[in-house]
Amino acid sequence: MPQGMDHVLSDLRVLDFTRALAGPSCTRMLAEMGAEVIKVEAGPNGELARRLSNYRNNRSLYYIQQNLGKKSFCVNLRDPRALAMIAELIPQVDVVVENFKPGVIADMGFGYERLREMKKDIILCSISALGQSGPLASKPGYDYIAQAYSGVTSMIGDPEDAPYLPLVGMGDVSTGVHAALAIVSALRYRDRTGEGQHLDVALLDVYYHYHEVNVHAYSGSDGTVKPTRAGRHMTYVCPAGVFRGKGGFLVIMSFLHHWKDLCEAIGRPDLVTDPNFSTDPARLQRRAEVVKIIEDWLQTFPDVPSAIAHLEKHQVPVAPVLSVAETTQHPHHRARGTVRTVHDRLAGDFDMPGMPLKFSRFPKDLPLEAATLGQHNEEILTRYLGRSAQDVQKLRAEGVLIEKEI
Amino acid sequence: MTEGINHCLTGLRVLDFTRALAGPTCARMLAEMGADVIKVESAPHGDLSRGASVFRNKRSVFFVQHNRGKKSFCVNLRDPRGMALIAELVQRVDVVVENFKPGVMAEMGLSYERLKELKPDIILCSISALGQTGPLAHKPGYDYIAQAYAGVTSMIGDKDEAPYIPLVGLGDVSTGVHGALAVLAALRHRDRTGRGQHLDVSLLDVYYNFHEVNVHQVKASGGKIKPTRVGRHMTYLCPGGVFRATGGHVVIMGFFHHWPDFCRAMERPDLIDDPRYRTDLARLERRDEVVKLIEDWLQTFPDVPSAVAHMERFNVPVAPVLSVEETLTYPHLRQRGTVRTIVDPTHDGEIDVPGFPLKFSEFPEELPLTAPTLGQHNEEVLTQYLGRTVAEVQKLREAGVLMEERR
Repeated sequence: MPQGMDHVLSDLRVLDFTRALAGPSCTRMLAEMGAEVIKVEAGPNGELARRLSNYRNNRSLYYIQQNLGKKSFCVNLRDPRALAMIAELIPQVDVVVENFKPGVIADMGFGYERLREMKKDIILCSISALGQSGPLASKPGYDYIAQAYSGVTSMIGDPEDAPYLPLVGMGDVSTGVHAALAIVSALRYRDRTGEGQHLDVALLDVYYHYHEVNVHAYSGSDGTVKPTRAGRHMTYVCPAGVFRGKGGFLVIMSFLHHWKDLCEAIGRPDLVTDPNFSTDPARLQRRAEVVKIIEDWLQTFPDVPSAIAHLEKHQVPVAPVLSVAETTQHPHHRARGTVRTVHDRLAGDFDMPGMPLKFSRFPKDLPLEAATLGQHNEEILTRYLGRSAQDVQKLRAEGVLIEKEI
Repeated sequence: MTEGINHCLTGLRVLDFTRALAGPTCARMLAEMGADVIKVESAPHGDLSRGASVFRNKRSVFFVQHNRGKKSFCVNLRDPRGMALIAELVQRVDVVVENFKPGVMAEMGLSYERLKELKPDIILCSISALGQTGPLAHKPGYDYIAQAYAGVTSMIGDKDEAPYIPLVGLGDVSTGVHGALAVLAALRHRDRTGRGQHLDVSLLDVYYNFHEVNVHQVKASGGKIKPTRVGRHMTYLCPGGVFRATGGHVVIMGFFHHWPDFCRAMERPDLIDDPRYRTDLARLERRDEVVKLIEDWLQTFPDVPSAVAHMERFNVPVAPVLSVEETLTYPHLRQRGTVRTIVDPTHDGEIDVPGFPLKFSEFPEELPLTAPTLGQHNEEVLTQYLGRTVAEVQKLREAGVLMEERR
């Protein structure tokens, strides 16, 4: 039986070759749901994320955040004995996850066909920026590269100027979650039929999938609608977007049936039936005017919270644009565990995003920690590969196994 | 079981109360992987998104994109006979998905506790903007509301200016995918233990999980780092961002081990070991200078494609910032099915929509799914699942309990 903790996926064992962000967030989601995840790290320094956000004791918070609950198995991947040990592990796992550049996992001797020879019903999940197939597949990729190719970057900013980058790992993290979904779905198929498979999940496809209207709006309008960035407001309903308040910014969504409530809130009931403003298409025609009416009205409040409290009394969907620092203190975020404080033996306490899925059967997060480099070498060799403590010591001395307090 | 549909989730039955985008995405992901999804639509109008976006033959293309492969069961939810049919259906499904405002399901008599009485191992997945719990839970929510509360909006734009919103439904769509993951993980647990549960998935939590460095930076830097928007470039690596080129824009990721390649591409090998530029930290200190150097060099190319092609020869991670229009014909996106062309039976002609983002080697072809017209499957659902006769269905139709319309 896998050694996962009691949770929805505690019967699952995963061999994890991933580094950086997209892959590790996939396997972290699985670990947070109880799967046993064995993370293979290449010696001598382990995965590259161990070099990011090293604020305390040279311990990477970046690594901790994305690697909670995983076992670290650190080996010299250039040594054939290390590769042989990995091959021994394959038959004992359900799933292999990797996010190398396409082709690399096969070069290492662990392509899907080879893995299938080692374990017939193995599920291999390959995560990449631009996919395992197609003319761009071989190109080096990162989150924002895939975002640019997906057309998403072109939808952020002012139409006449260069687009902006959202400074959040939304492509990587979400792709990790998409991959976890593909894995759990493929496991259901395996359990029913005995067949494994190879999964191909790319940031490009995930980002592209975010276009809720843009792609069909272009083709559905026969090219009349050419979707592009349009500043701070939505293009198919109005008003909806970012508004300037006093000392800060608000998001207000008062299109469709909310318009009436907004008009009440701003003391302009006349605008409800005014044909210039009564429908979303009419308001879109005069968007600058609508925005000005709202922003002028917002200036009559001393600050953002008082404007929000007033709008909320009228049921207008509204939110303050919180800074990240503010989110870490917000009572709602704390109450839900949207933000959580984790403890690390080396780095101490710090805040990170909470597990985004809430299960009524498991109301508490599992008490997971991130491993130091090679922390579980001995456990993995003795428990899964039947080696003695002496064998382990020998492999350590010969540099096949690597362990470091980082 | 739906005939002819073979995929990962064949045999799984889902009762879907969702509307708009986040919930429908969750149920659609399940349908695209073979689940039998019965979408309950409230008579007389059905899902509000049937009135949204671009239309062809009065058919909402938005609805088509987000409701492929579902069965439409359109019923008057204010009629006790309608609610009785729903209660019967709950006993015949594995999963219920909803994205009403928290509390609405309970008001409808479909709280988790009640569903459990109807089917002890039911899995209920509740999707919302701000969650089922916490002081903000009862507030009306949309994608950008959750994004603002998550601190994500504050990370987009120029430091001293109002932030921008990305004009894509990324919070809704991604939350739908998160919901689908929670559902399948909970099903695995149900199959092992016989126990169902209630899942609570919110856009706020999903958006918040996107912060790969911002949240941990706040406390760990002792308040020294105050994460905020800073324009077009990354804050912890350099160069990494959007650059102005001739006639367009490119994304270049030239940090870490890519810096030497990038210097060679720019024919500036001297910068590789120059202490002012050698490390990411040094380059971050002089980011404006680095950006200017790169943008000046980009101007020496006649256009974006030639600059991209040159950098690619040096293995620099680079991409053109494509417009949505350009993505539709881009060979890679077509070849992978990142964009797909679908045909809707009720309107003439084809439309392009994003492809299914998960690729399964066992199922290289996408399932041949279409979006239903309003109440299209009323009769099928009642005869196949609830054992009603065609005559009984007709009676319910005439009594206004069932509703059907070709749109």
